[in-house]
Amino acid sequence: MSEDSGATPPPYVLDLSVAVAVARFDASVMTLIQGYDARGQLLVVPVLALTGASLDVRTEDADDLLEGLERLGNAEVALLRDAEQAVRLAAVIARTALDTWDAHVAAVADASVCPILTLDAGKWRQHSEDLDEPLHIIEIADPDETPGDAGVAD
Amino acid sequence: MSAKKTRLTITVDPHLSAYAEHLVETGKAPSVSAVFNDAMEARIQRERRQRRLWKEAAERSDPAKVARMMAHVDAQAAALPER
Repeated sequence: MSEDSGATPPPYVLDLSVAVAVARFDASVMTLIQGYDARGQLLVVPVLALTGASLDVRTEDADDLLEGLERLGNAEVALLRDAEQAVRLAAVIARTALDTWDAHVAAVADASVCPILTLDAGKWRQHSEDLDEPLHIIEIADPDETPGDAGVAD
Repeated sequence: MSAKKTRLTITVDPHLSAYAEHLVETGKAPSVSAVFNDAMEARIQRERRQRRLWKEAAERSDPAKVARMMAHVDAQAAALPER
């Protein structure tokens, strides 16, 4: 998948903040995601992050944007598939006190040993050590913007 | 819409089949085939709308800002421990 190195980069797991940015039509975040998709970077979207984002923005356009995420060539929706995964999600919620939407993100990232792509690294730092293996976090931010600026910041 | 129709054999869930038959019986659709056509047409339109929204986002974004953000992400990814 990678064009410029021998190693295949691990898939990025998108968290609730990224899904909400998509639902809110954040053009920068959406273009970044499309850029990675065009590069062949695998993107994993936990299905409950989509649910949480859809609850955050209750419009038809938002739902179309979230469904459009699934249509990207290198994006894959991670389902909550069976009883074992349901129980494991409950364990993650109990250990981290994350909301259900991001707990699914953490469960997927933990099981797959993939980094979480987020707009809010601070939130994840609080929970990074709650699981047996630390979560790896990658923050989407514009280094030229100071925190509090409009658009992508945090 | 093409005038020439293609014959297609499909398997559907019983409740969907029953609903399609119900639409025909109540005069809301001329045939089960028409129900399938309408459903597919609606799906095509919806997917087109979704793609258009994503394309609009790319057109509205600031390429320089997105490039900085991607460089920032790439730098963090490169610093991650190997799996």
